[in-house]
Amino acid sequence: MFDIHLDFDLLEKCNRCGACYDICPSCLNIDGYDPRAVIKDILNGNAGRWLTSVHIYQCLECHHCLEICYQNYGFENAMTAMRLRAARQGIHPPQVRRGWDMFVKTSRLGEPSLAARKKLGLPEPRESGKEEFLKLLEVYRMRRHGPSPCLRER
Amino acid sequence: MKEFAVFWGCTIQARFPFLEKSVRVVLKGMNLPFRDMDGFTCCPEKSLVNNIDHGLWLLTAARNISLVDKEAVDLVSPCTGCVSNLATAKGEILSNPRKEGEINSLLKEVGREFKGTSRLYHLVPFFHDEVGIQKIKQSIKRDFSGMRFAVHYGCHMMRPSHSLKNDDPLEPKKFDNLIRALGGESVEYSTKLMCCGQGLDRVDQHDRALQMARVKLRELKNTGVDAMALCCPSCFLQFDNNQHLMEKEGERFNVPVLYLTDLMGLAMGYTPQALGLDGHRVDTEPFLKKWKEISSRPSAAAAFSEGMKKEGSFI
Repeated sequence: MFDIHLDFDLLEKCNRCGACYDICPSCLNIDGYDPRAVIKDILNGNAGRWLTSVHIYQCLECHHCLEICYQNYGFENAMTAMRLRAARQGIHPPQVRRGWDMFVKTSRLGEPSLAARKKLGLPEPRESGKEEFLKLLEVYRMRRHGPSPCLRER
Repeated sequence: MKEFAVFWGCTIQARFPFLEKSVRVVLKGMNLPFRDMDGFTCCPEKSLVNNIDHGLWLLTAARNISLVDKEAVDLVSPCTGCVSNLATAKGEILSNPRKEGEINSLLKEVGREFKGTSRLYHLVPFFHDEVGIQKIKQSIKRDFSGMRFAVHYGCHMMRPSHSLKNDDPLEPKKFDNLIRALGGESVEYSTKLMCCGQGLDRVDQHDRALQMARVKLRELKNTGVDAMALCCPSCFLQFDNNQHLMEKEGERFNVPVLYLTDLMGLAMGYTPQALGLDGHRVDTEPFLKKWKEISSRPSAAAAFSEGMKKEGSFI
């Protein structure tokens, strides 16, 4: 239900098209960046070789390919699916991992800077929904994977 | 106008509180019915959360939306990423009743319900469509006539269009219209819609992020603009902070970077200090100096009339 699934029929056409290469900022500016090489391997069952490659993180998720695609698909779908698959195997750029850890601990990706706010005359920041988020996260994890290790210990 | 909650997002509050200041000054100055709300979390960010757990990304966005649904207010954000994430998740949930059911059965555990009834706006289309060009023009004390701006839209202001539906995704116009409403010239340039590339910084590819920023900054240096105008904290990070880093290494582009509300606030008569412009890394002084100089000149029509008078034509 909450997973991302790839449509291989659309990917087949995607693999033969490449219309978005002329609008994709990474294709235009990063030497060697070639999403169709990844798609080709997904279609051939060799996707695994890309899981540790920086390539799959060079898609900027700008949605240009989606907007220009005559199938309304875009190769960003393939890149997102690859990143999710890599994540399942615990493979992330370190900064992604740090961001994720902070998110699941605090519900945010950074806390408001109180000193700077005071200096600027900004009001106190509002309460975040951290406590409720953490409860929701636990419920979500229970539904998806059963009790988490810390809950089982309890 | 319907009351709306401002969704500040993590980046603005954690890294750029002076941008929050600028937005607040303008919203207050225009007497718009905004409010702050308790309970928001990260939107959540796509590249760091959706790339690890799509379900949690959807659920967190749905919870944030349920807060404004409950209060029956709209949501407006000065962050393109937040609005794009929230709108994309909302679109995905509303298009799949089974998914909506599953999300709501989870939210019920914490007493929330996702309805998707509140409208989600980014600040640019909000000012353009809801506040309106006319009201913006009426609030101006000193316009930007004679000043040249490079508008940088930021990808997630209008993409993905299937969820945002707020401008043409490949040929947007609303930000340009706002710049014109403020009296400035929106310069056309070839990399105008190119992604800022800040996403590369978030995946440990800093050098490539700088390489991407250089492409646009080089073009703007050659085109000769007075400032870049944008309305996204991530793009701001890329073009202000990262430009400053390159300046320190001796690579100068001299492109001041201004938020939409910085420009609106200046035009409305607020001082640069009141808008938090001293928080910008790239020096905005050359921009302000030129604007002051141009504004103090008589208009072309006034100068022409004056000249004619001096020559005695009207006597």
